[in-house]
Amino acid sequence: MLKQSLLGLALATALSTVAHAESVNILMEGVPDTEYVKTLLPEFTKETGIEVNLEVVNYAEMHTKLVPQLVAPKGSYSAIVVDFYWVGEFTKAGWLMPLDDRIKADGFDASVYVPKLMDLVGQVDGVTYMLPFYNYAMGLLYRTDLLADEANKAAYLEETGEELGPPKTWGEYLQQVKFFTKGDMHGVVNQGLRPDPIAMEWSNYLFANGGEYHDADWHSTLNTPAGVAALDQYKANVEEYGPLGAASFSFDEAFNVMAQGGAYSYITYNFFRAAIDDPSQSTVAGKVEIMPVPGQEPGVGASLNGAWGWAIPKSSPNPDAAWTFLKWVESHDIAKKRALQGGSPTRLDVFDDADVNAKYPYTGAMKDMLLTSHNFPVFTYTPQLVEVLGRELSLAVAGEASSADALAAVETEMNELAKKDGKLK
Amino acid sequence: MASITLDKITKTYPNDVTAVNGVSLDIRDGEFMIFLGPSGCGKSTTLRMIAGLEAISSGDLLIGGRRVNEVDPADRDIAIVFQNYALYPHMTVARNLAFGLRLRHVEASEIQSRITRVAALLGIEPLLSRKPSQLSGGQRQRVALGRALVREPQAFLLDEPLSNLDATLRASMRTELIKLHNSLGTTIVHVTHDQVEAMTMGERICIMRDGDIVQVGAPMEVYRNPADTFVASFLATPPMNLLPGRIESDGDGLAAVVETCRLPIPAAYREAYASHAGKPVIVGLRPEDFQAVAVGGGRTAPVALHTITTEVLGPEVILVANFASPGGPEVHIRMPRDFRAKTGETVTLHFDLPEIQVFDPGTTRVLARPFLP
Amino acid sequence: MSQPSTMEAADRRFGWFMSAPGLALLLAVILFPVFWALFTSVHEFTLIAPNFDTFTGIENYAAALGDPAFRHSLGLTAFFVGAVVLIEFAIGFLVALMLNGVERFKPIYYGILLCPLLMNPVIVGLIWRMFLHPSLGIVNYLLTVAGFEPVNWLGSTKMAIWTIIMVDIWHQVSFMIVLLLAGLSSLPKEPYEAARVDGASVFQSFFFITLPLMMPVIIVTLLIRMIFAVKTYDLIYIMTRGGPGVATDLVSYAIYRTAFVSLNIGEASAMSAILLAVILIFTGYLYRYMRTLT
Repeated sequence: MLKQSLLGLALATALSTVAHAESVNILMEGVPDTEYVKTLLPEFTKETGIEVNLEVVNYAEMHTKLVPQLVAPKGSYSAIVVDFYWVGEFTKAGWLMPLDDRIKADGFDASVYVPKLMDLVGQVDGVTYMLPFYNYAMGLLYRTDLLADEANKAAYLEETGEELGPPKTWGEYLQQVKFFTKGDMHGVVNQGLRPDPIAMEWSNYLFANGGEYHDADWHSTLNTPAGVAALDQYKANVEEYGPLGAASFSFDEAFNVMAQGGAYSYITYNFFRAAIDDPSQSTVAGKVEIMPVPGQEPGVGASLNGAWGWAIPKSSPNPDAAWTFLKWVESHDIAKKRALQGGSPTRLDVFDDADVNAKYPYTGAMKDMLLTSHNFPVFTYTPQLVEVLGRELSLAVAGEASSADALAAVETEMNELAKKDGKLK
Repeated sequence: MASITLDKITKTYPNDVTAVNGVSLDIRDGEFMIFLGPSGCGKSTTLRMIAGLEAISSGDLLIGGRRVNEVDPADRDIAIVFQNYALYPHMTVARNLAFGLRLRHVEASEIQSRITRVAALLGIEPLLSRKPSQLSGGQRQRVALGRALVREPQAFLLDEPLSNLDATLRASMRTELIKLHNSLGTTIVHVTHDQVEAMTMGERICIMRDGDIVQVGAPMEVYRNPADTFVASFLATPPMNLLPGRIESDGDGLAAVVETCRLPIPAAYREAYASHAGKPVIVGLRPEDFQAVAVGGGRTAPVALHTITTEVLGPEVILVANFASPGGPEVHIRMPRDFRAKTGETVTLHFDLPEIQVFDPGTTRVLARPFLP
Repeated sequence: MSQPSTMEAADRRFGWFMSAPGLALLLAVILFPVFWALFTSVHEFTLIAPNFDTFTGIENYAAALGDPAFRHSLGLTAFFVGAVVLIEFAIGFLVALMLNGVERFKPIYYGILLCPLLMNPVIVGLIWRMFLHPSLGIVNYLLTVAGFEPVNWLGSTKMAIWTIIMVDIWHQVSFMIVLLLAGLSSLPKEPYEAARVDGASVFQSFFFITLPLMMPVIIVTLLIRMIFAVKTYDLIYIMTRGGPGVATDLVSYAIYRTAFVSLNIGEASAMSAILLAVILIFTGYLYRYMRTLT
């Protein structure tokens, strides 16, 4: 850490005098999308002569590493990546540099991004602070082989009077969950661990029931029929239709159950779509597909959006070089190259690219998912809301609070947080 | 009170070291028995086998006529006093004394009266509420003794109980132990490496070496008739002078010849030493058996001594000299306090011939002879 | 008369001079953070606005103590600490007594025992989370092979805290064993022989001699272990995140959340100060009790 800062400092001093020996330092999370960026870095250095140093760490370490650098007048990171959780906090604290002037000056086209992503990890109150890096919206993973099975089809028809196929509505999906739960097979596997896994997953249930987190004035709208239904359904799925212990599963454990063929469905982050086809960690490769979480009506999506954005901190030692890098990494060509390696796109022109679609046939589903997705409330206290939500949802699932009581508690705290943040008047 | 009988007791450790090698001994009821020997001779191990702290490898141990080889130490009705006292550091003196009685469910009033009695006997009443760390060495020793006494056992086993005390304290504790034994009359087995303790305290001494008993007997008996050169050189300070010599015919009698000195053998011993006539032997002369004046009737024989030095101790003087000739073996001789001799001076002293002992140089055993009073 | 006293004064000055760097270092690394935390705890200090502009007095303390979740965490932590310390002590003492009698292969036993202790708690948490996976973990697999029902180790509110306690015991019990064993092996041997002759059974020897003689070691061991147990955070972070519900929401994890999720350093400092006070009171009590023993 000290070494890094000293290095950064030394570099910063060097940069101010010698322009050509420039380098850009970025703190990133150890995920596949970071790896894809890494493979392309030599191209950037060749083009611009700027070196790029990626400091790759765990998610858990990122926030603690970032904050001291952001608070400092001159930090060691030229550019950073920002999870949508932190957007409210970072912008409220004034740690990020507005990008609008640079975008305008260089004619960078920001309209190619999926609008929902720009809302999440692009603009805050009309000011552009970030460029969306990759998305991790949540989708419904389901077993195509079970749907295609003739015996299942006949049984389902007899039981429900309906044809068996990918669920068009949330109601149909819940019916399938119930139908597929027999013996060792579970209709669904949930990620019930506090706080993020349960909060993120349950958000899909909320949207699927037509609910939202708050109204236009930031009044919380959780303790509503939609919210209570969502929580009741979630609890039933964990307890009646899911495997033992789902109430404490993190996403990797839940994914394992799905990958070992233990469940019909799993609502989770879209990057697991690629992982499920990896025979080294999955026994159901080729038998699972992803789709937007279905809503009340066919065609209405209920997926929770999630994404990371590129940003330049105000404490950046060399914002110009950082912007040069951002422009390059988010250019159509590089974004496409990242998508071709398996990256999760944020640009519509990449989603529609023929090569990408040819290589990954589920790209269309991913795009639909994003276009019909819903955003989690982004404000200063997003992490705290996740914490409160995780605790209360977990209490309700554990049977220690009724759904209404749990949601009422979240509502109260959420309103307080929104008030504190100035969102709720 | 009880007798203790050891019948071919052997202790062999798992690493095949034999510490005690088939020892047999009868300790009479009420006897004060001393186990004496250098460290590592097996005396402590024997005591610990009697106590039950060491398992007996073979042989039989009887206490009061009952075979107790497999009996738990607690049920042998013996008490032991350890060299380093082994008091319970966290208990007061009173509780140290009471501990064994409480475990035996002796009534509280009885415990109290016994403690009072023993504390008075040992003069430790003022210490009863103190902890061992607040006591001096001598006080601890008394408490350890008291802990054994309150139990009123059939026998006391004392494992070098005085060796951690200074000389003055040791002397007074010796007397106290003797007084105690006289008043209680309980069997005592006392292990020590100190020959003064052995000589002064015991009714009998059992001398051990390398796991064997070398000699058992009353102190004076052992002193005057040592069974071999080991006993001869172990008991008393300075020990018996052991000089290489020969038995030679001397007219119709025998004489022990050391260097140029001829010591005529008393007629009563002739038969005993006849078989060694003309052979090399070890001649043993006690330092106490020399005197300045000859006694008539051939009871003494003159010896020329070439003075090396004298050690004036006060009550007595130790003369260190070369025996018979200036190059002769070095001997120690105990003389009265007014004796003086200069270095290099030749002194003629007279040896009390009936006290001569002759040992076989091969076996180191004494050549048994009649015991003259 | 004046000669020795000037010498003494010079000695004292030299003593202060020699120990000054050490004292200064102690002051810097121990007292400064503590005072900083106390100072922070009476201010509105958040990571978003990291300044001491607003003095709030006891507000942070009132907020913490008024929060039922924090009070729950305090109570749960007391239970957790009590359970792990007592169970680890019981197991640790038993194993230490057994090992104390062992003569051969002692280093091997030591080595095996120390293994869990040397492991990072994060690794321990990850390993056990894997072992305890309700359907794919080896523990439930073995249970079902043996004919038992699989156990919902971390997903049930009743079971989860016991699971955490169990893992903590697995991880930390060697600490007890090693410390108690060191204490046992330094006990004098003679009183035991005296006690045997005095008629004490093995159990009486233990209760009347071993236990009282070991008391200072036991208290120090319990104290250290207790302080560590209060700080348990990694296991919770890795294994349950305080769930299900609030079943494993230990106070150190709650403080961490207040500081780094809610970014409210002020209130987190107040919580820490409350915790520090509780630990200090307990430590003081045990320390005084120990003083009465020696």
